[in-house]
Amino acid sequence: MVFSFLRRFARNRAALVGLLLILIVIAAAIAAPFLFPRNPLRIVGRPEIWPFLTWRHPLGTDSLGRDIAAIIAHGARTTFMIGLLASLTATLIGVTVGALAAYVGGWVDEVLMRIAELFQTIPNIIFILTIVSILGQTILNITIAVGIVTWTPIARLTRAEFLSLREREFVQACRAIGTTDLKIIVREILPNALPPVVILSSLVVASAILFESAVSFLGLGDPNVASWGGLIGDGRTLIRTSWYICAVPGVAIMLTVLALNLVGDGLNDALNPRLKT
Amino acid sequence: MGRIVIRRLAQVLPLLLGVIVLNFTLIQFAPGTLLDIMSADQQVSDPVLIERMRVLYGMDQPAIVQLGKYIWSVLTLDFGFSYRQNAPVLDVIMTHLPATILLMVASISVALVVGVTAGVVASVKVNTIWDNLISLGAVFFFAAPTFWLGIMLTILFSVKLGWLPVGGMRTVGTEPSLVGDVLDVARHLVLPALSLGLFYAAMYARIMRASMLEVFSLDFVRTARSKGLSGSTIVVRHVLRNALLPVVTLLGLQLGTVVGGSVVVEAVFSWPGIGSLMLDSVMSRNYPMVLGVLVLSSLVVAVSNVAVDLAYFKLDPRIRAR
Repeated sequence: MVFSFLRRFARNRAALVGLLLILIVIAAAIAAPFLFPRNPLRIVGRPEIWPFLTWRHPLGTDSLGRDIAAIIAHGARTTFMIGLLASLTATLIGVTVGALAAYVGGWVDEVLMRIAELFQTIPNIIFILTIVSILGQTILNITIAVGIVTWTPIARLTRAEFLSLREREFVQACRAIGTTDLKIIVREILPNALPPVVILSSLVVASAILFESAVSFLGLGDPNVASWGGLIGDGRTLIRTSWYICAVPGVAIMLTVLALNLVGDGLNDALNPRLKT
Repeated sequence: MGRIVIRRLAQVLPLLLGVIVLNFTLIQFAPGTLLDIMSADQQVSDPVLIERMRVLYGMDQPAIVQLGKYIWSVLTLDFGFSYRQNAPVLDVIMTHLPATILLMVASISVALVVGVTAGVVASVKVNTIWDNLISLGAVFFFAAPTFWLGIMLTILFSVKLGWLPVGGMRTVGTEPSLVGDVLDVARHLVLPALSLGLFYAAMYARIMRASMLEVFSLDFVRTARSKGLSGSTIVVRHVLRNALLPVVTLLGLQLGTVVGGSVVVEAVFSWPGIGSLMLDSVMSRNYPMVLGVLVLSSLVVAVSNVAVDLAYFKLDPRIRAR
């Protein structure tokens, strides 16, 4: 089954391109400390050197004379770490809430879904900015804040999956032999509900990356960490002379998000071959 | 119809209460109190004066009493006083709100018009070069961060070509007539509305294409064809209307993100809406203002959600039966 899944995925050319792009970004993130061992936020040369002019700074330097290539490579680490951890946070909250709502039902379901609706109503970036400004501008707080605003779709999907699985025969059989509720949820229903949820989580990584870059762009990111959004924010004042400072990190964000979306779509199509149009 | 509007509006109230409680709890986590910031900001060091301010702002009382008081004052439309702008919070927000709502409406219009048109064209010309180009564009705009797209559009249309203004809402220093003013604001609105709207347009184009293709395969379309209706009539009057439903659903779910996205776009184009106000308040730790913006923007989302529900209701008679 896993094998045929992989084969269906591999037949999707766009998804393979996406996968390749993601691997390149991951490779850049892993290689960053070896390629650029010094602090990427350190000043290395003349400010505003255009890309592709010197070998020393292949992507040029920014308004302060920092190496853009180094910031991009180290920024890939930040981006991926926040994206993955925020998605993990969102998945943990979402799966817990969705599973409880569907399995327990009744007023618990009602209350939990109201709470989900509440989180969907508060404009997400405004909420993230509030959390970050109150708790402080650190990577951890940004990660938590992004996780807190992105869990609702995961909760809804988990709930829907659990509702359709809850009354199946194998669950009833477990009940009949006296399996505890916790065991039924964790060991019986969850593994069956998980594949679509995991795919949604991979799409949440993409939106988490977009949120993180927006927060850094607005100047509320962690000031001690190289970040793609932060570089765009720094370069904004120079768009008349050196617009490449904004363009380069933006392309990096766009390609990463695009790749994640393509892979997510590919996984989705491979999982539900009938739904493909 | 009227009963349903009232019932939906009644559901907004507990939601609003939830927002207030949530944000009040969040503020309690803040490391410095409002008083610390105010005394630092205005260099008040007299302990007697600080104590008087503490009583004035009710901070000598337990958190639960403060919460009760805050909820009560919000319900009576009193959001407190902003020492930064030296005006009531509600007044400041109200002067900034129209700009944000204008941006929201313009972006959603861009998203709907561009997205639906692209989706329809892609589905009618399915698997042609047009379809592929539209899909490619959708993938591109779906992945580009709105603020980056905004900056790139500015570089192209304002810096290089000089067609449109870089930012702001009105040209400074002119005193134009009413028509001139509307045109001036419209010129300033183009780039922000495009940056925010194209992201959603990309999403709607994809959804619209899929849902058009699905509706095309239904029986009633075959009936319409067999009774000899022209292709365009079928597309516009039969397929389009039914295929719009998923887009409307999505629109309702995403209003919150549109308001959030406007914060970022407003920062790029220095658009004088509540997003710029929010950013300024967050930076200066003006908590009464932050809370006020959160509550009021959530209210805007909740009320627009009701409006979307009603649009859904108009579009799909099947829901009315329930």
